[in-house]
Formats: sequence, structure tokens, C-alpha cells
Amino acid sequence: MTSTPMGPLQGTLELLVLKSLEAAGRMHGFGILDWMRRTTGDEIVVEDGALYHALHRMSKRGWLEAEWGVSEKGRRARYYGLTQKGRAALAEEEERWSRYVTAVARITRAAPA
Amino acid sequence: MSLFRIRRTLQAIARAVDPSDEVDAEIQHHLQEVADRLAEQGMTPQDARSEAERRFGSVRGHKEKLVWMNRRGMAMRRGVEIGRRATGELRQATRGLLRNPGFSLGVLATLALGIGANGAMFAVTDRILLRAPDHIVRPDEVRRVLTLRAGIDGNPSYGSSLTYPDLDDVRGVGGFVGAGGYSGPRQRTMGSGDQASRVETAGASHDFFPLLGVEAALGRFPSPEEDQVEASPTAVLDWDFWQADFGGTPDALGRIIKIDGVDFTVIGVAPRGFTGVDRSRVDVWVPLTAYGMLQWGDYDFHDSRGFSWMRVVARVEDDARLAAAEAEATGVHRAGREEEISEGWYDANARVVTAPLMAARGPLASDESRVALWLSGVALLVLLIACANVANLLLARGEQRRREEAVRLSLGISRGALLRGAILEAVLLAAAGGVLALGMAHWGAVGIRDTLMPEIHWAGSAVDARLGAFMAAVALLAGLAAGIGPAIRSARADVAAQLQSGGRGSAGRRSRLRSGLAVAQVTFSVVLLVGAGLFVRSLAEVRSLDLGMDVDRLAVAQLEVEGAMPVFGEEPDQWRLENTALYEEAARVARGVPGVQSVSLTMAPFGWSFSGGIRVPGFDSIPRLPGGGPYYIVTDEHYLPTLGIEVVRGRGLEAQDRAGASRVAVVSETMARTLWPDEGALGQCFYQGEGEDTPCTTVVGVAEDVTRGSLEEAPHMAYYVPLTEDSPSPRGMYIRASGDAAAVASALAGPLRSFSPRVRYAGVGTLREALDPQARAWSLGATLFTLFGVLALLVAGVGLYSLLAFDVADRTRELGIRSALGASKQGLLRGVVLRGVGLATLGVVLGTLVAVAAAPKVENLLFGVGARDPLVLGGVAMVLLAAGALASWIPGLRATGIDPMEALRAE
Repeated sequence: MTSTPMGPLQGTLELLVLKSLEAAGRMHGFGILDWMRRTTGDEIVVEDGALYHALHRMSKRGWLEAEWGVSEKGRRARYYGLTQKGRAALAEEEERWSRYVTAVARITRAAPA
Repeated sequence: MSLFRIRRTLQAIARAVDPSDEVDAEIQHHLQEVADRLAEQGMTPQDARSEAERRFGSVRGHKEKLVWMNRRGMAMRRGVEIGRRATGELRQATRGLLRNPGFSLGVLATLALGIGANGAMFAVTDRILLRAPDHIVRPDEVRRVLTLRAGIDGNPSYGSSLTYPDLDDVRGVGGFVGAGGYSGPRQRTMGSGDQASRVETAGASHDFFPLLGVEAALGRFPSPEEDQVEASPTAVLDWDFWQADFGGTPDALGRIIKIDGVDFTVIGVAPRGFTGVDRSRVDVWVPLTAYGMLQWGDYDFHDSRGFSWMRVVARVEDDARLAAAEAEATGVHRAGREEEISEGWYDANARVVTAPLMAARGPLASDESRVALWLSGVALLVLLIACANVANLLLARGEQRRREEAVRLSLGISRGALLRGAILEAVLLAAAGGVLALGMAHWGAVGIRDTLMPEIHWAGSAVDARLGAFMAAVALLAGLAAGIGPAIRSARADVAAQLQSGGRGSAGRRSRLRSGLAVAQVTFSVVLLVGAGLFVRSLAEVRSLDLGMDVDRLAVAQLEVEGAMPVFGEEPDQWRLENTALYEEAARVARGVPGVQSVSLTMAPFGWSFSGGIRVPGFDSIPRLPGGGPYYIVTDEHYLPTLGIEVVRGRGLEAQDRAGASRVAVVSETMARTLWPDEGALGQCFYQGEGEDTPCTTVVGVAEDVTRGSLEEAPHMAYYVPLTEDSPSPRGMYIRASGDAAAVASALAGPLRSFSPRVRYAGVGTLREALDPQARAWSLGATLFTLFGVLALLVAGVGLYSLLAFDVADRTRELGIRSALGASKQGLLRGVVLRGVGLATLGVVLGTLVAVAAAPKVENLLFGVGARDPLVLGGVAMVLLAAGALASWIPGLRATGIDPMEALRAE
């Protein structure tokens, strides 16, 4: 039986992208997708369009900086990297995420009355 | 720039600021990577690509969202959007215009004429009225120093000529930051013999150049020490003269040039385009004192308040102090003139006033500049007529297009877009017209400058950035003015009504507006043609003035002799005898030239006058006439017949009178009438000079009055006395041609310049040439008013014609029905022609009213004709009515040619 890949939970896409960039360094959009897919073993697959929306949104907020470069295949590609502001945002998002996971865990682990 | 290029440029701009390209590239990269991956897994490239796109979701949807996200703010987005839409609309408008080339060309030509006329006039008025001469620092501070004082007739008038001591007075005025004087330019002879040439020489005081703030292009301007009577003469060359005569080399510095026999050392070159303050052409600038020496010889011009020969300018740094400075200068001036004031020779109330540097703005504006200003207004009127005509054409076409527009509206084109499209069309036409007009303006401005206002040294080309900017603005305004009305009309169209009625709509109202515009055109044309008529009549009056002499048969010649010229009245005997002999010889030479009928020698060549006191028995003092005098002319027995001055009573001068045995004189009619009104002048006796000791001079004849040198002269007394051994020697000669005076003048130049080594130069010209500058204002007005008037008439005629032609086309059905119902062809023709003539009549009436109301404003620019001259008003009315009839005749004929069956079937 194959499991159906999950989309990211509502509100976590930005965290995933930020974390990917922190972990793997500067990447272009396709690279980010690929890295996430490999890292999660195809568990989390982000919709292509949604990723770019997130990238552009965060660029506008100043979390990411983008510049044109040449990919390993020799193609012109737009590379994204974390800014200082982006790192702060990442820390905040991680913090929120772990609070959320803890809270969810408390609920799911609660013993039936 | 072609419309195509404009479009391309707009698109390129839109692209440059458009983020969609970046987004595109990023998405494309992504899709390629995905497709690569899929292909590696065994898909065909095509499938891989479409799968990649499928996975991406709606590529376009995402792209658009991303693009929007990336827009850097609303303003830029709107700009790009408008640019894009404008490109489309521009294309639409261009296509519309190209579809109807005849119409577009007509409009283009009309607008080009209107805009070009304004450009040409602007190129002239800009220089004489708006822009200070080049190289003057802060020109608004530089003021002309004038006197306002009572003249011979007791009326105060402005004077610009001052004496050297007056300049010194002005230099001492504390309210002026600086003052300087200048004189000339005047043609003088450079070199001598075969090498002689004429150069425009001007004098300028050492403080003149620093006052203006002008810097020498090479070398320097004269120092205060060099502007002294005993200093060795120096010269500064004009830039163009330096280029032409010295090849533009720096070696020119230190060279010696001989002007009127005096050696001048070249010390500098004026900057290119420097014309002094008067916009006159100057080849050589010399120090004012050196100029005074050339002009007055060893006469003490430096201390004399008897010769006014220079103009003075001063700088006032603060406008607020102007009145105080003028008051101070007035005090200094009156103090300087104290002696003459106390003896009653000078107005005790004389004031010193200042005027703007631009002469055309001050009280001494030349008639030409005032006429030029009027003509600028006239050019504007021509443009208004052109705009009215174009508006009318656009309206008429709008009516033809009504159905098309109604369809477009019903298909959802917004009224705003329709409005913009219509205005855009008009502006496009005006822009293209403006480009054509630039050529016309250049051609027109050069023509006006060279032939109608040649005294002004224009320095620089007629077409420059200022003119370009002016014409662009005029073209834009003209396009808007002509386009806005018709555009609003078309955008207001009522869709349902238009479609139902087959596009005829509310023809009545539209027609009224268009008729109004046609009437306006006729009205303006009348005003212009009345102006033209008045100036043409003025010029004719000026030309036919009875100056008392046969102007068109006469040439004048003056010899320049080696050695300094003594001042009048102080000639040494030896010089006098030699000079007389030289002129006698010149007269013999001239009589030998073919075409010469007679030659006369005179002490007072054209434009010169000498007045001297006389004593007449029975008079305590001689009556003073407004024209001054009495003037005396020392001449020979050929004078009166040569000039064609008629002897009314008695006899003229005769050869034996020159022996000097008895003193005789011929007097002018005015003198005879003034001094001996009852008893008659013949045989009367008067004494030349104030003293008692001179013998009596007997009047032997009375001759008709003659001008002293100008076209408009107040009455004066004059008398002729013979050249004798004791009299002053001749200073010039009149030559009467048996045929063409110009041919004789040019035939005389060679012989008169070469017959004696003592002659440095001989100036020969026709009397007409000498008089022409005085008639220039009228010839300028007559030429351009007529040109503009005829243009206006043409445009208005075409306007009326097109109105009626469209009308007839519009009413084809109605006229067809009438014809079917038995209306006669004459009746149909009469209907159309009457309508046209009716409109023309209304325009003529309105135009005549405007002309009559405006008349007093031009009165003082006219000559010998009233501003409400009935001949001109009537003539113009006739011309316009005839034009109106002609313009309606052709559409009228077309109306009679309508076939009823055809007309009804066509619906």
C-alpha cells in the first residue's frame, strides 16, 4: 500500500521553505521542492504554484532575497536565500510550530475518560 | 518620428518596467526542471512538458497572480496600463486617419499653415521682444538712458542721442552700478585703393563691455587708457568678421587695420554672436574716443555739448532704486546743461529716464517692431481660423461616422475611449501639422528677417530649441482646441437614436454649431483682410508721396577723401579748393557714364541739413516753423532740374551766379509764403548770418517744397544759394538717370572709385534705397498682413465650401424628394447659395464691426489712410461675399444634380 503524499498543513508552508533554505542554503524554486521531497521521503509534496506564491510573498516581506543565477544545468534560474529578517522569522515560526505540536500532542495523547 | 516608432518606443517602455517577464522566466525554469525529471523517468519530452504544466496548476493563473504581487505599487501599474492602452488607441487613431487620406491631408495643411505662421512670427518677436541679445549678463538690469525733453515744437519727446559730456555726467550717477556709451555702427572704409572694403564700425566706451558682462573670445577689450583722445587706436573684431577676413587665427592679434586712413591695432575678438545692445551687425569695435575722432576729426567732441552722437546704457541692480537713480541722473544732467538752460537753448524741465534694454519694450520701439507685434496677433488669428476650420471638418466627419460610432458604443466600447480616440486623432493631426509647420516657420522667418527687417542682425538660425518648444506647445493646443468639441459631440451620441435613424440624428443642432464656426472664420478673415488693406494703402500712400523730387530717377554719391575731413564751417581754404576741384572732376566723370542725364554738386547730400540764422528787413525775428530752419543748400545750377524740383516763380540758379558777382538765392514756397505773404518773394532781400555787415541776398526764384530726407516732415523754410569760390565746398552729388536709377548707380561705382588716388571710397546708391528703410514698417505690414489675410480667406472659403458640401451630401434624400416633388433646379441651387452667402454676410457684418472697433489701435501705424477707410472696408466685404458665393456655388450645383430615384434608393 502506498501512502498518499500530504500537502503541508495550512500555515506551515512558509516554515517549511524557510527551514529548507536554512538547512540547504541558497536554492531555486525547483531545488527547494526537490529538497523537501527528498528530505521527507516524498511524504510532503508542495504544490508548485503555491511554492512560488510563498517565495514571492516572503521576498516582499523582506524575509528572502532573490537573485538571478545559473543552475547546475546551466540554466538561468532565480535563487533564494534567507535574509537576517528571514532568520528571525524562521525562529519565530519554529517556536510557534513546536508550541502547536505540543498542544496538539497533549490533546491527542489525552487518555479517554 | 514615425507613428510606428512612437508605438515601438511605448511598448519598450512598458516592457522595461513590467515584472511579468521575470515571473515568466522563473516559471519557465521550473517547468523545464520538472519536465527534465519526468523525461528521465521515461516520458516523451512533449508529455513531460504538459505534465509539468498540469502539475503547476494553471500556469497563466499563477503567473498573473505572481505578476500582480510583484507590481511595485498602483501608480506604476496604472502607468503601464495606460501606456499599453495608449499604444492601442494611437494605432486605432492612425489607422482612422490613413483610411481617409484626403481629409487628413486637408486638415494637416490647414493646421500646418496656422502653426507655421505663428512659428515664423515667434522666431522674429522672440528676438526683438523676448530674448535679450546674447552675451549680456543679467540683461534685465541693463537700462537705456534716455532724455525726455521738449523739442522745437514744445512737445516733450524721448531722445536717445547724447553728447560725450552727458556720458561723463551719467558715469557719475551713484544709483547706476556702471554706465557706458556706444555709437554706430556705420560703414567705414578699411584699407585703400583696390583693396578698400567697407566695414561696419561701431564705437564703444571702455566701460561698455564690463557693464554688459561680456568676455572677449580672444585677447581683450580696450582699457580705460586706450579710450583716451591721445591713445593709439585699438580695435576689437567681431567673431564672424575675424573668421571671414582673418581666417580665425590668433595671429590676428597685433595686426594693424586701416579704417578711414587711421591705423588700428587689433587687441581682441568679441565672442560669437555678440551684437552689442542693438542687434546690429558690427565688424569692428573701436574705443568710443577713437570713433569720435573718425567721426568728428580734430573737432573737440570730447567737451562739446553741441553734437549728440552716442547712446548710453547703465546698469541698475535693484529695481526699487530705479526711480531714485533716474532722479539723481536728472539732477546731474540739468547741472551739466546749466549754461544752455540759462540761455534758453535747452529745456529746463528735461528729465533723464531709463528704458528696458530691449528697445521694442520701451518708448522708442521702432515701428517695425510694433508692426511685428501686431503681426504676431494676426498669426494667432490665422491659427484660430485654421482651428475653427479643422473643428468643422472633424464635426462633419463625425456626422458621417455616427453610425459606426453607435455600433462601437453598443458593442461596449466606453464613451471615454471614444472621446479619447477622437481627441487623439486631432492631436495627432496637429503634431504632424506641427512638423510640417517647422519647415514653413523656418522658411517664413528667414524671409521676414532678410527682406522685411534687414536692419536687424539676427545672429543665429531661425529655428532653435525655443522655437521648437513654442511650436510643439502651439501644435498641442491647436489639436486640443480643434478636437475637443467634435470629440465631445461624438462621445455624447445617442446609440438607439443613431441606429434607428440610420445615422442622421439631430442634424439641426450640429449644423448650427458648424455654421457658427464658419461664420467665425469669415469674421476673422474680414479683420485680417481689413488690416491688409489698410497697410497696402499706407504703403501705396508712402510710395506715392510727393517728396518734391523725382525719387525713382535719382542716385546719390559721396566721396571719401584721403586725409582727415575738416568739420563743416571750419575748412581751410586750401582743402576747400582741392575738394571742390575733386568733385568737379567727379561730376565730369559721372556725366560720361551712359544713362546719366545730369549731375549736380551740393554741400548737403540727401539726409543732410544745414540751418543758419538769417535776417530779413521788416522782421525782428524770423518765425520758427515746426520743421525748423531756415535750411540752406549750397549747390550748383543743375540742382533743381536734376532733382526735378519745379521753379514756381522767377528763375532757378544759373551758371553765372557762381561767379559770385551778386548774391542770389532761390527760396522754397513755404519760405516765400511765410516771409512775404502779400508782396511776393521775387526781388526781396535778406541777409545770411546774423551780422549787419554781410551784403544783401536777392531772391530770384521760388521753388516747390522738398523733403529734407524723411517721409514725414513738418513744414520748414529752405533756400538755395550758388556754390562760389568763397562758399563751403561740395560734400556729395545727385545723379539723374535717363532710365533706371539702380543701373546707373551700379555703373557709376567703378569710375567714381578709381578716377583719382585721393578718393578712398565712393558710396553710390539710389535715392529709393536711401528712403526705403523709412517705409519698412509699412512694407512689412503690407506684405505679411496680405499674406496672412489671403491665407485666412482661402481657409475660410474652403471651410464654407466643406460645410455646404457636407450639408448637401447629408440632405441627399431630402433634396431628392424635393426634386421629385417638382422643385426647380434653380430653386435648389438658390437654396444652397443663399445659405452660403447668408453665412458669409453674417461673418462680414461681424468682422466689419470688430475691425471698426479695433481700428483706433492701429491708427498710429498707418500712413495717409484712416483706420476706418470705407474703401478698404467695402472692398473686403465685396471680396468675402464673392468668395462666399463661389464657395457655395459648387455644392449648390451638386444639389441640382441629385437624381431623385438614386437618392431614395440609396437609403
